[in-house]
Amino acid sequence: MAEVAGPIERIRPAERNLRWWLVHRNRGYYALGYAALLILSVWTLFPVYWQLATSVRSDVDLFSSTVTLIPRILTFEHYEKILGPSYPFLQQFRNSAVVALATTVISTLLGAMAGYALTRLRFAGRTVLARLLIYAYLAPGTILFIPIFVMMSRLGLRDNLIGLTLAYLTFTVPFATWMLMGYFRTLPIELEEAALIDGANRWQILWQIMVPLSGPALVVAAVFAFTLSWNEFLYALVLLQKQPVMTAPVGLAAYVVGDQYYWGQMMAAATIMSLPPLVVYLFGQRWVIAGWTSGAVKD
Amino acid sequence: MALLRTVERTSARAGARPTRLGRDFWLGYALTLPACLVVFGLVAYPLGYAFWLSLQDIKVGGQGQFVGLANYARLLFDRDSRIYGLFWNSVKVTVLYTGGALAGKFVIGMVSALILNAQIRARHFWRTLLFVPWAIPAVVSAFTWRWMYNDVNGVINTLLTNLGLVDRPILFLADPKLALWSVLIAAIWQGAPFWTMTFLAGLQAIPRELYEAAAIDGATPLQQYVRITLPLLTPVITVTVMLSAIWTSNAIQYVYVITNGGPANATQTFPLLAYQEGMQAYDLGIAATIPLVFFPVFAVLIYFLTRRMLRQEG
Repeated sequence: MAEVAGPIERIRPAERNLRWWLVHRNRGYYALGYAALLILSVWTLFPVYWQLATSVRSDVDLFSSTVTLIPRILTFEHYEKILGPSYPFLQQFRNSAVVALATTVISTLLGAMAGYALTRLRFAGRTVLARLLIYAYLAPGTILFIPIFVMMSRLGLRDNLIGLTLAYLTFTVPFATWMLMGYFRTLPIELEEAALIDGANRWQILWQIMVPLSGPALVVAAVFAFTLSWNEFLYALVLLQKQPVMTAPVGLAAYVVGDQYYWGQMMAAATIMSLPPLVVYLFGQRWVIAGWTSGAVKD
Repeated sequence: MALLRTVERTSARAGARPTRLGRDFWLGYALTLPACLVVFGLVAYPLGYAFWLSLQDIKVGGQGQFVGLANYARLLFDRDSRIYGLFWNSVKVTVLYTGGALAGKFVIGMVSALILNAQIRARHFWRTLLFVPWAIPAVVSAFTWRWMYNDVNGVINTLLTNLGLVDRPILFLADPKLALWSVLIAAIWQGAPFWTMTFLAGLQAIPRELYEAAAIDGATPLQQYVRITLPLLTPVITVTVMLSAIWTSNAIQYVYVITNGGPANATQTFPLLAYQEGMQAYDLGIAATIPLVFFPVFAVLIYFLTRRMLRQEG
């Protein structure tokens, strides 16, 4: 035994040295990495901080000749003002919520139906339709906004939240379908075969087997539909021109009165309207990241 | 072999295709009908309608008159028309804007992804932090940047003055030479997290053993990056560049909110020009034509992206 243990013991310090070297050889790079991380964090957080800091500063403080990084006096007067009855902000926030929630529910539902059919059913035109969905998802809104504006005007759906929701479906439905197709394909087909043998029909299989099993993918589709439609600007800008029907992003752009900017109030409104997508992102991060990596970009 | 394959093919055809429309055509069409309505009614039809509008002289609220390719001719060749100069200016601005944004997002996205992929402490926390700009509405961050750039009370000018770096405030948004750069920085701030995310996912798919083997062979981290990381990341980079090129060149929020195309049209990208012609000058024909001139570029990008996405789906 001693003869065997000898050479191994002799190797161990060398191996330990190699390990140490492998771990510590890049220390310079790690120091550089942490320094870069610090810069990136400041770059990322400073605008967010400045938005918040502006929203709790008094106007006197905001327009004084010396701007301090930390507000001298904390005040919530801007929040009180924009949430008060003389401002359309609450109404516009509600409009945003209605449109974003309607878009989310409709696109997730339609996405599940089409996604199931395109992955598991056999019918003519299936592959063509799958391809068209990607084309539709990638089609730029700048090409579509003028014709959609004319169409909605003719249909009487301008200045109307239904018209805006329809416009949002142009990108959320293709995305949800594509995303769910990828997920349905990974579910074992044996489950469906067993259910078919037990006498279930396709419709029951979709709602009682596929959908319950697809929780995570449905959440991804929903989170994306919500965030994209909550933040959308171009269609809302074009389709909503009356203040009471505006969504929060367009309402914010409309606060600008001539050359006079009420930065405190604008940043207060901006902060409140950033909260829903931020909360969805912070709680649904895992799914957001899954969507980024599996839905939109498949690599 | 050939016979066997023929037999298989025949039996497969017999098994899978009891009718010409396919085994499940009834339910298949029923389930895809709503999505089809969206694709045809809200994307394909408007696209065709955009072409139809581009062939007309049509104002908001007015009747259209068929003018053939006159709108295209005015944009592209008619040196005497007002829109000719504006259009070619917007081409130049869009190219600069898109190119600059892609370069900036690439650098920040790559550096962030490399750091987040390394064995750093509290990786999850840093990842959450660096992705925050993605979740913030673009209009909000555009206004925040506009406020930070302000020449009188803006924080950037105040800091620069206090540090003694400048004597007079820099006119970030009023100087035609600076305005596009200022808008670009805001757009990069918002857009970089998407790149970080896709790059990070790509990096995580590269097997660690490759790096270990290279390290034992004495490759420096830079060599490892050039010889292993970059080649294996190329497909991800290609897709991200194409997607981001479509989205960036079509984004209107930053130029609309931060500069509204000014000063002296220095930041007037083509979506903003189309918006202003259509919604403010009420010329729907020209407004429909402007983005359509760029359509071939997008069609090529979309074609390649779709091919790649379908191939990966298998």
